[in-house]
Amino acid sequence: MGRLGHHLHENGYRLAGRVYLVLGFIFLLLPLAFLILFSFQKNVYSSLPLQGWSLKWYGKLVEDGVLFDALLNSLRVSPIAATAASVIGFLAAYALNRFVFPGRTLTATILILPILIPPLILGVALLGLLSRLGLHGELYSIIIAHTLLLTAPAMAVIQLRLAQMPPTLEEAAWDLGANELQAVWRVVLPWALPGIAGGWLLAFTFSFDEFIIAWFVSGFDQTLPVAIYNVMITSHDPSLNAIGTIVFGLLLLTLLGAELLIIPLFMRRGRA
Amino acid sequence: MTDANVIPPSNRSPLRIAFLAPPVGYYAIFFIAPLAFLIVLGFWIVRDYQIVAEFSVTNYADIFSQFFSRSRFGWALMQSIYVAVTTSVFAVIFCYFLAMGIVFCVPERHRRLYLVLAILPFWSSYILRLFAWQLILAQKGLLNHILGDLGLDDPLIITNTQIGTRIGLVHYLSPILIIILYITLINVNRNLVEAARDLGATRLQAFWRVIVPLSRLGLVFAFGFGVLVSFGDVLCGLLLGGGIGQSWLGSYPLYSNMIMADYNSYTNLPRTAALATIMVSIMVVMLVVAYRMADRATQPTA
Repeated sequence: MGRLGHHLHENGYRLAGRVYLVLGFIFLLLPLAFLILFSFQKNVYSSLPLQGWSLKWYGKLVEDGVLFDALLNSLRVSPIAATAASVIGFLAAYALNRFVFPGRTLTATILILPILIPPLILGVALLGLLSRLGLHGELYSIIIAHTLLLTAPAMAVIQLRLAQMPPTLEEAAWDLGANELQAVWRVVLPWALPGIAGGWLLAFTFSFDEFIIAWFVSGFDQTLPVAIYNVMITSHDPSLNAIGTIVFGLLLLTLLGAELLIIPLFMRRGRA
Repeated sequence: MTDANVIPPSNRSPLRIAFLAPPVGYYAIFFIAPLAFLIVLGFWIVRDYQIVAEFSVTNYADIFSQFFSRSRFGWALMQSIYVAVTTSVFAVIFCYFLAMGIVFCVPERHRRLYLVLAILPFWSSYILRLFAWQLILAQKGLLNHILGDLGLDDPLIITNTQIGTRIGLVHYLSPILIIILYITLINVNRNLVEAARDLGATRLQAFWRVIVPLSRLGLVFAFGFGVLVSFGDVLCGLLLGGGIGQSWLGSYPLYSNMIMADYNSYTNLPRTAALATIMVSIMVVMLVVAYRMADRATQPTA
């Protein structure tokens, strides 16, 4: 590193790299900065020049109520779907981690497959089946669909964690007289907890942001992305900037929670 | 310790069935069944606004009879593939150099901060990022306003073209691609780069003949991922591409947008299912190609 770093330091490559980094990060962060800035501006059409600070778009958000109701719907759908996906994901991850059985590779492949299939296809397919069963057009339809979509990412994160568990840990529990279920409950589950929490957060974020499946299977009650889409295609409404800022704040808090709660858990367990 | 080849004695535990049953059951009902039903549904018809379970190739005959004419599904398919492939190329190049910048130009203690900043957009609403891009790129938007102040009076027309679609998609893909390519580059053995330099390679030669070949697998994976996501995405084409965005190929919508629009205007679910089945078939072909490419990338070149 020393020599290479030294070389890079000496010439323009490093400067060019820095300039590129700055431009690249402006591109990456521009829409976020835009949403936050214009959510607090008086401008009816979000562009320059700035017309002064104001909270009126947040007020309009509360007044209109549509996006707020949708946010509440999302806050009902996403935690339930994420929890269901984490439970199913844990069961699958544990079984795949511990047992050898015929068709194990195939099972693992199929379980991960929903992330590879475009949500558009899953949306059409799920609508087809759910409408046949009379289960479409409700909030629970979205929960059913999202649980399927989210199990794969939740399972993947939990599997990563379980793979780090020494098998001797569970064997020790059995030797000490725990039956298998007790061993899972008292030994495996606590070990997997950071993975489950991480998987849950990832699943929650995916669900919270998911548009096309919810668009297909939902009915009158909509989740936030679908409601935002409907506002976007019918009118120009700067209060979308405000809901964007709120959503970003909400997800950032979740992320911060993850940083504070989960990462130390990983560290402690990792050392133990 | 149990040997890797020996099945542990506890393998026949009742827990095996108990733990596998919920995931397998859920997937059977809500994954395998819908996908199988999707294919079947494509061969059913709608009569008097009701779905009728009657085998017919009407949908496919109808779709393929106007594939390149009236409804132009074929052109939409080509537009989708064209946009997906070019988007993925741009996204991989953009992110590869950003990842290189983080690996080579940022002191080690600051790298984590840069990575967190890179994935920050991922933690905001996707559809609202596109709302912001709409307003930034619009004819009277932020970008053209700034360009106007700099003396460029002809506004750039970006929204309602496939260039707009690509900007949205590159932005959407970036956080994940940066992570993939960062991990790839951090694992490139620095000693090999230094050895090349010691043996007289210029910086550019070291880049092309050492760093790039060593990140081949990551690049191929990132490219394949980019194509798959771009091909399946609906929102960018709709909100930034304006639904029927202009490109070098012409003014055709993306195939994914056509599926959505078709369902929205006809509510003929069997027909939509047939369109979706065609899309899945194309994707299976793409996956096989991607698999072949990845397979070749892992083979050492002679």
